[in-house]
Amino acid sequence: MKALFKTLFGDGPNLVGVAAVVALAAVLALTGHGGIAAYVVPMALLAVVGLLASV
Amino acid sequence: MDWTIFLPLFLAAAVEWVEAFTIVLAVSLTVGWAGAGAAAAAALVTLAALTAATGGVLSLGANIWILQLVVGVFLLLFGVRWLAKAVARQAGLKALHDEDREFAETRAAVRNADGFAAWIVAYKGVLLEGLEVWLIVVALSLHGSSWMWNTIAALSALLVICIAGAAVRAPLRRVPENALKFIVGVMIVSFGTYWTLESLAGDVWPLGDASLLALAAFYLIGGLLLVPVLRARRLRRAMA
Repeated sequence: MKALFKTLFGDGPNLVGVAAVVALAAVLALTGHGGIAAYVVPMALLAVVGLLASV
Repeated sequence: MDWTIFLPLFLAAAVEWVEAFTIVLAVSLTVGWAGAGAAAAAALVTLAALTAATGGVLSLGANIWILQLVVGVFLLLFGVRWLAKAVARQAGLKALHDEDREFAETRAAVRNADGFAAWIVAYKGVLLEGLEVWLIVVALSLHGSSWMWNTIAALSALLVICIAGAAVRAPLRRVPENALKFIVGVMIVSFGTYWTLESLAGDVWPLGDASLLALAAFYLIGGLLLVPVLRARRLRRAMA
């Protein structure tokens, strides 16, 4: 079961990192800043990649 | 057929099938090719049933907005993980995936196991690696892309790996797995970013569909730039 969960969602830090960026994207979209999100979200995701790669 | 989807899917599937093949090969040396092959076939039948069931459920109709969000988030979960691992391996922070080691570990695990336990190891190995392929096929098929061609991409990758594996009869160590994971990670994160934000905020991408190419270039260059930064950090830590 643990292996299945990891296959589908990845480990904890991966899940938290992606969830945080999706939440950020949702907030920006809901507050009418979707245009800004198109620039902020890729940068935030790259930052998550860097963080995950370094831990 | 959409090559921008067919190609990353083929490469992603090939990477996963190499890992599955290594496990089946290790098990086959304990219980024989017939037993290991039967376990692999049983896992592939499970995956085929899962794919057919998913296609059936989705064809019943579902809210496209919700589907796009779910697909986008799943692609991000996969892509970010793959890209981060590829960057870490390139920077020397993580050991390169070693098929020889995986092969030796699986052989050690099944050496003293009975036939059924070894069968389960092969079945589980193929099923878990195949689940990742299934998820990517489902995710990329939801957005107007052909189920048939995407399934063909995954199956043709399986065929290529099986032929190469049968010819070599050893772990496929020459496959540039990290480079493939880097490229596929970049493509999957790009699709995931595009669809997630489009589902949440509507048509916000400045270049329309061409934004996908811009995103791929951004993640590729960004990922490559992260490698020397993380490598320098690792060296500083080692010297401290």
